[in-house]
Amino acid sequence: MKPTERFKRRYISFSLSLSGNPPSYNEAKEMVHAHFLSFFGEGGISSLAFKLVKYDAQSGRGILRCERSRADEAIFCMACLSEWKGAPARLEPLSTSGTIKRL
Amino acid sequence: MDIVRFEPTGKEGAGRALPVSSLSNFFDAANALAAKQLCRKKFALVHPSGYEIDDGDLLELARAGGAVVFSLSDVVSERGFRRAIIISKMRLLLSACRKRGTGFVFATLAKDASQMRSARELSAFAAVLGATDVERKDAEKRMAGIATASTKPKSGKPNSPVQVGK
Repeated sequence: MKPTERFKRRYISFSLSLSGNPPSYNEAKEMVHAHFLSFFGEGGISSLAFKLVKYDAQSGRGILRCERSRADEAIFCMACLSEWKGAPARLEPLSTSGTIKRL
Repeated sequence: MDIVRFEPTGKEGAGRALPVSSLSNFFDAANALAAKQLCRKKFALVHPSGYEIDDGDLLELARAGGAVVFSLSDVVSERGFRRAIIISKMRLLLSACRKRGTGFVFATLAKDASQMRSARELSAFAAVLGATDVERKDAEKRMAGIATASTKPKSGKPNSPVQVGK
């Protein structure tokens, strides 16, 4: 596929906390995937080009990928996370970039 | 700039958050009838809980120099289908505001510090509701104007009008 035909990507760095502490990698992956799936649905996720690129369980920081024109929707979705399995949770977007290196 | 429902301390960004208690022109409209009466008040900031205001009332609100408040916490507090419904209602109301020339602002109306959100998240919220870049900037300017007006000493008159954009 030609580069012009691919999804135009945006990378969003985020900070994740569950009850004030950074969750483990598996828990974070489950949380982020379940929340995005609940918000966008299966069709929405496919057109969003969503992917959890990186997550550091020590700092609670990570990077996710989305389609360029839908970065605002992805950030709004992140803002909508307030609890996970009864515990207070926060998925805070930090910065947005077209490359992982610049984040 | 943001409007919140609690008294923020320095730690929670007091410079950025404006408590509802400091705004004499902020009103919660429990239903469409209440909103109808509130839309006649000069420079009123109306937060309709159901996001249903008639077009005629929006026209009156525009004439009175008021604005509609869209709250992010209304979306965050709901889940699933009910969240989808409230976003849909907000989109329709924003479209009606644009049609009638009524001003609007975006705020979190957070009840505590954990419900507060960043300016980027508020901007994304506005974009999801269908606000253009220009409208988002206008809403931010209007919010800054509200903050300036609310810090002025009260003289028994309503807060000074906030003229933005047009």
